[in-house]
Amino acid sequence: MNKVELMSPAGNFESLIAAIQGGCDSVYFGVEQLNMRARATMNFLIDDLPAIAEICQQHNIRSYLTLNTIVYDHDLALMKNIINAAKSAGITAVIASDQAVISYASAQNMEVHISTQLNITNIETIKFYAHFADTMVLSRELSLRQIKSICSAVKKEEIKGPSGKLVEIEVFAHGALCMAVSGKCYLSLHTQNASANRGACIQNCRRSYTVIDNEDGHQLEIDNEYIMSPKDLCTIDFLDELIDTGITVLKLEGRGKSADYVKNVTQCYREAIDSYYDGTYTSEKVANWMQRLSEVYNRGFWGGYYLGKELGEWTNASGSKATSRKIYIGKGNHYFARSGVAEFLIESYSINVGDKVAIIGPTTGVIETVITSLHVNEEGAKNTAKKGDYCAFPVTTPIRKSDKLYKIVDIAEVVK
Amino acid sequence: MKITIIQQRSKCIGCNYCVEQAPERWRMSKKDGKSVLIGAIEKKGFWSVKVPVAEKEMNENAAKVCPVNIIQVR
Repeated sequence: MNKVELMSPAGNFESLIAAIQGGCDSVYFGVEQLNMRARATMNFLIDDLPAIAEICQQHNIRSYLTLNTIVYDHDLALMKNIINAAKSAGITAVIASDQAVISYASAQNMEVHISTQLNITNIETIKFYAHFADTMVLSRELSLRQIKSICSAVKKEEIKGPSGKLVEIEVFAHGALCMAVSGKCYLSLHTQNASANRGACIQNCRRSYTVIDNEDGHQLEIDNEYIMSPKDLCTIDFLDELIDTGITVLKLEGRGKSADYVKNVTQCYREAIDSYYDGTYTSEKVANWMQRLSEVYNRGFWGGYYLGKELGEWTNASGSKATSRKIYIGKGNHYFARSGVAEFLIESYSINVGDKVAIIGPTTGVIETVITSLHVNEEGAKNTAKKGDYCAFPVTTPIRKSDKLYKIVDIAEVVK
Repeated sequence: MKITIIQQRSKCIGCNYCVEQAPERWRMSKKDGKSVLIGAIEKKGFWSVKVPVAEKEMNENAAKVCPVNIIQVR
């Protein structure tokens, strides 16, 4: 039996390596401005495509390029350049929503995936896009029952993509949800001219709002001011049911999130998928994954629309409810390979023996470790290293000058 | 009297709004899909051009509607 594919987000090289370390089967990423995270300053460039493809091939994972904004006439040449460059670099497929992109990629014999931006909600639409695409991302607003019905029909009616294989059905497993139907939102466009459909969403739905009756000026009492900000999707506690629907690809949201988020979430879902197949998916494990997932960025969790119960669960906070936070400490200086010791320059705060730290960099990805001993400047072993100090501690894998050192602290400690 | 218009071009997401506001000063590049500040020269990633003050209002409008705030008029 083939396992479902675990697809992780890669907003930059740090996250790409972190996703691989977490155990993903594939990654998706955007280049230049034609993707749904155009605002992110860390987007890859066309010139990065060969390096991305090489890293993915080395680790035997598939690579998918998102090219899923709406496209204007002036974007066509760039769109074609990106697809040509992706094809020659050896990127596995393009995730598209605009018909111009689907048509061009397909004419170049580039594998096409249909983005969730096209909101596929029925089997006839799958049949239509099967002329062009091998993988379809379903709308995030379907229930498990509806997903199952679509997956069964794909098998029964033998709906095949251009590759000649049955089309793959992909769903979102974890991450941010949108108050609009999968990204089709104009709120940000109305207030800031920033179109979500061009990847420029400023997320004003995530703010708190007051409702005022314009006739008499009364402010309406609402029990939650974050009336447009849904909690984040989390399916790890019913992943067995989600896989049982017959879907073949699970996607994690988060090209705008940090590398440690990507590694943590990928790891949890990797373990959950593996447990499902080896028959060890238990409630104890679920509790452990839920606890680990809540450590990194989240707006509180709910099961999305999959369980078909209540429509919309809204967060009660403007930002993250993560139970841990990372604080920037300093940068990598040297790795003593023989002794397995990493040296850092501390630029802010201090670190102590016993602290949990994360080392994050474009080649390193994410290393998490606990400091067992500290060597400070020329002074030898100490318990604390402060701003301005060069400090060294054991790390099993090499670190680099491009790495940053963070202290991981419990959120309760930060508030104190 | 002249004013200066500055654009941090690398951050442009190609939305086309500046062209709608000041079509004589901006156009969309068919090459890379980003907007082009007509007549501008580049220095360290910033494109700038001095123009007659008559163009002030429409370019201020362009700056105002830019969703990524990369246009300055001064």
